[in-house]
Amino acid sequence: MGVPNASEDLSSEMEVDAFRRLFPLRFFERHLAESIRPDGRPLGKARETSIFLGAVASANGSALVKIGSTTMLTAIKMEVMTPSLEAPDEGCLAIDFHMPPICSPIVRPGRPAEASPVVSKQLSDTISSSRMIDLKDLSLVSGKAAWMAYLDVYCLDADGALFDAALLSAVAAISNLEIPAVAMNDDGKIVLVSDEDGQKRAQEPVNKEKRKLTLRSIPFSLTCILHKNYILADPTAEEESIMETHVTIVLDTSGQLISLYKPGGPVLAYTSAIQDCVAITRQRVKELKSFLDKENSAMEV
Amino acid sequence: MEFVSPEGLRLDGRRPMEMRQIRAEIGAVSKADGSAIFEMGNTKVIAAVYGPREVQNRSQQISSHALVRCEYSMANFSTGDRMRKPKGDRRSTEISLVIRQTMEACILTHLLPRSQIDIYVQVLQADGGTRSACINAATLALADAGIPMRDFVTSCSAGYLNSTPLLDLNYVEDSAGGPDVTLGILPKLDKVTLFQMDSKLPIDILENVMQLAIEGCKAIASYIREILLENTNQLEYRRGV
Repeated sequence: MGVPNASEDLSSEMEVDAFRRLFPLRFFERHLAESIRPDGRPLGKARETSIFLGAVASANGSALVKIGSTTMLTAIKMEVMTPSLEAPDEGCLAIDFHMPPICSPIVRPGRPAEASPVVSKQLSDTISSSRMIDLKDLSLVSGKAAWMAYLDVYCLDADGALFDAALLSAVAAISNLEIPAVAMNDDGKIVLVSDEDGQKRAQEPVNKEKRKLTLRSIPFSLTCILHKNYILADPTAEEESIMETHVTIVLDTSGQLISLYKPGGPVLAYTSAIQDCVAITRQRVKELKSFLDKENSAMEV
Repeated sequence: MEFVSPEGLRLDGRRPMEMRQIRAEIGAVSKADGSAIFEMGNTKVIAAVYGPREVQNRSQQISSHALVRCEYSMANFSTGDRMRKPKGDRRSTEISLVIRQTMEACILTHLLPRSQIDIYVQVLQADGGTRSACINAATLALADAGIPMRDFVTSCSAGYLNSTPLLDLNYVEDSAGGPDVTLGILPKLDKVTLFQMDSKLPIDILENVMQLAIEGCKAIASYIREILLENTNQLEYRRGV
């Protein structure tokens, strides 16, 4: 800051809101010195998280996730397709992340937000590298028919930690997914079976019951901001805009590290800082796993 | 196909003059200046209003009025089959234009010169009447944003199948090929701002169908008024008044 004394004088007379807008970094640092953040959270605590499964009734699987104010809605639609020649007994999962203009004042119609393709790529990389789903489970008839699952994540409110919320909602939607029952009709084409008709069924693995996918290791993530010596977990959009260095760590339920993402930033991190982030993430993963399990068992009932 | 049974029940069990269940919620998007969710039966729509704010494209700035922009888009999963092109296609562009012109009629734009008001509407589930749900949601969002308006705009659709005027068509009834009237009114001022109709309809029957739609709009207006009143009470309570 060029003129520190001037701002000190002003700060004693100014209202809190004005100080917050004019000197955001000093505002935050005043709080960090007391080990607290402006919304009252301790440094290592994430915001309140809620998961709501089955939000979109017409989709095969869906979930609405809120982390603080950040809201993500994911829906999965399944279609039958012919598998590729290189992988005749594998289905396909297409993940797409959208940030419609309603979610944030900085998104303009016609121009996708900067964060949108970044989070989209991160999301598809994380889900495929975590091997959460075995693509062979999505196969119907080897070489002829397989499932194409379109997973669309929509951000309805962007208030920081977009990747965490997007990953959580994608994972929750996949755990909520019910594969529709299909049968082969006379022309050798796959058709959806409705519950009432007694259509003739071929010897399909996906037969009369709707099926759920068996999930192996489920990835969960936490984004932390590094600022001087502080580590802030689960930033809001305001915090992200002021302090630019963030680290995203993805762990799976068995504690294995799936991905670590630190895209530059002014703060250089020692290994100890990264290890601290991993420790906080471990805690968070346990929390998220218990939330998701609770929601899934509530759905079963 | 029979859309109204001999006992007078429609496909989803409603009477011909019965509207679907409506539900609205204000303040769904925390980052927006004003936002609302509006549900009409299975049709769910979110509207967010950003503004008045500085005009992004200086060349479009109007020195005497506010600039109103609107974008309508549907989520990929909102319809039965997954949509390939959720916005930029002709239908979405047309609906964006319709919603913009409808809302422009009720916003007091001369009070906010050189500024921009953005109305974004996102359809999460589409089951007929998306245009109407979007307009109703936009009205609530504008009220939540505190933008000065002449009156609400409420909208409802009506049709004519099996020789019966029907109120608030769902997707199946809408795609039956019969006439589909969408009406948008300013309820207090008793003026029509939006009136669209497809297919053929004899003029004497048009009167009936239009009257039915107007009553639907007035019912929605009283519901919206209730919601806004409750919202204001909540705000007063939180402020400690």
